[in-house]
Amino acid sequence: MMSFDPNAFLIISTASLIAISCGLLGVFMMLRKMSMTGDAISHAVLPGIVIGFFISGSQRGLEVIIGAGILGILATLMIDWFRKKAKVQLDASIGITFTLLFAIGIILINVLAYKVDLDQECVLYGEIAYLPIDLWITGSGMNLGPRITWLAVLNLILVLGFIVSLFKELSLTSFDEGFSLVIGLPAGAINLALMSMVSYTTVSSFEAVGAILVVALLVVPPATAFLWTKKLIPLIKITAGLGVIISIIGYYFAYWLDSSIAGMMVSVSGVIFLASAILKSKKPNFKFGTKIADKPFSI
Amino acid sequence: MITQVANPILEIHDLTVSYDQSPVLWNVDLSLPPGQLIGVLGPNGAGKSTLIKSVMGLVPPTSGHILIFGKELNSVRSKISYVPQRESVDWNFPASVLDVVLMGTYGKLGLFKRPGKKEKELSMECLEKVGMQAFFNRQISELSGGQQQRVFIARALAQEADLYLMDEPFAGVDMATETAIFQLLKEMTQEGKTIVVVHHDIHSAMNYFDWLIMLNLHLVASGPKNEVATEELLRKTYGGKLNLLSKVSELIRQTDFNPLKS
Ligand SMILES: Nc1ncnc2c1ncn2[C@@H]1O[C@H](COP(=O)(O)OP(=O)(O)OP(=O)(O)O)[C@@H](O)[C@H]1O
Ligand SMILES: [Mg+2]
Repeated sequence: MMSFDPNAFLIISTASLIAISCGLLGVFMMLRKMSMTGDAISHAVLPGIVIGFFISGSQRGLEVIIGAGILGILATLMIDWFRKKAKVQLDASIGITFTLLFAIGIILINVLAYKVDLDQECVLYGEIAYLPIDLWITGSGMNLGPRITWLAVLNLILVLGFIVSLFKELSLTSFDEGFSLVIGLPAGAINLALMSMVSYTTVSSFEAVGAILVVALLVVPPATAFLWTKKLIPLIKITAGLGVIISIIGYYFAYWLDSSIAGMMVSVSGVIFLASAILKSKKPNFKFGTKIADKPFSI
Repeated sequence: MITQVANPILEIHDLTVSYDQSPVLWNVDLSLPPGQLIGVLGPNGAGKSTLIKSVMGLVPPTSGHILIFGKELNSVRSKISYVPQRESVDWNFPASVLDVVLMGTYGKLGLFKRPGKKEKELSMECLEKVGMQAFFNRQISELSGGQQQRVFIARALAQEADLYLMDEPFAGVDMATETAIFQLLKEMTQEGKTIVVVHHDIHSAMNYFDWLIMLNLHLVASGPKNEVATEELLRKTYGGKLNLLSKVSELIRQTDFNPLKS
């Protein structure tokens, strides 16, 4: 039996928190057929991070989160505008938007290099392994524990609050946007709110898992869970469970192979998805022949 | 032949709607009486869905304006109910039949509030009215096309509105069910509700509707069925469609169809 390793526990629980936050939002992104918009957002926040860094002088400033949030919303609006007003196909508008914004971010890093000492590796790939030594020390010198874990806790609380309070609006606008407009629910505002939460979650997680690998956590667990259930609540629960499983297996495989934890988490989630897809495609359909006959009725 | 009414429940004035600059509805001007079962007829691409969507505010008009209960749409949303064409949503969405019918109650609930026992009971009643109560727990991805359509009708009933706009609610619905639901709609009009139905089957249209709107980019006719169901107007509406035309004249030859004899 392995002895209890507080660092391993910290890393696994932080990774789980992040994976759950991403997965919960990812479920609704998937149901809106917008999984790739999450991809676009995760790239597009880069200029926001750089500008926020430039203003605050630190990678940890609130300005960084705000900058990224604004860029995330901007990316969503750009994609929407290209699609609806310029009649560009959805995949093309996503491709144009995020490569453009990402490129601007890279140029900004170069141009502002004297002022912005941004670790590109860290922004893109994250480094969750250093989490236990990156502590949150208050002004008076009190040690409150690992900073990134606190960020992940706050992130999950906000994501949960968001989804619980707007659950019916989120599901209705995902299923039938026209109907939600007809009954007067502000579908556009709810969509933007969801995109803002995705942007915020992306920045909040980028130091741990990186802005790019965050995408995998948004997309893969919900897609895997959807292979196993057709019901919304179980779909959400399985997605959250997968987030925890991916974190545990990912950590120990990375530890064992001495590789990137975030990279291993994503690989593990990919393998779980593949295995599920293969299992599901081979499963015989036992339901056949047990359906209730549908009778015409009379009043 | 356009009959205007006094105290209309829905009035459309000089409505023109275009997609990408090309108009698909020209100068539609009509008013509808309350408490009637109203059919909208016209060939594919005639602009029937566009007409319904512009009443519901889903497509912006190029010109003209619409009044419902004499008011603007935004102040009367809770009194209008809508059945979109079935193809407008992805039926693989993870929701149960009851979940979808409950969505009909969301407008009255407003933001943040969850549907409770009262909403669930109402939704079950509406499912019963369309004969789908046994399926309430079934996932919508596991329904047949006609059953999905019935769920959409139940969702509209759960809105408890005064004006119902239904875009091809009977597409793929079997005859027995169609008859039963038409009966139900008739009863609702007797309680004072107004129901507008886009419908493709001319024969059953002649049996059930009180009022007909005939559309083919322009408004061909709007008036009481007995006055507008003439071969000439139907020809004008479906003009050029040879198959249909012969079918129409055949229908018109049938005595039970001839509106002038009823
Ligand atoms: N989103 C759109 N963009 C561009 N043109 C459209 C759009 N929707 C409909 N049209 C065009 O507008 C015209 C009217 O379409 P509409 O859907 O209102 O017809 P319809 O009478 O409902 O036909 P159907 O019986 O097939 O349902 C058609 O010629 C169609 O090609
Ligand atoms: Mg149509």
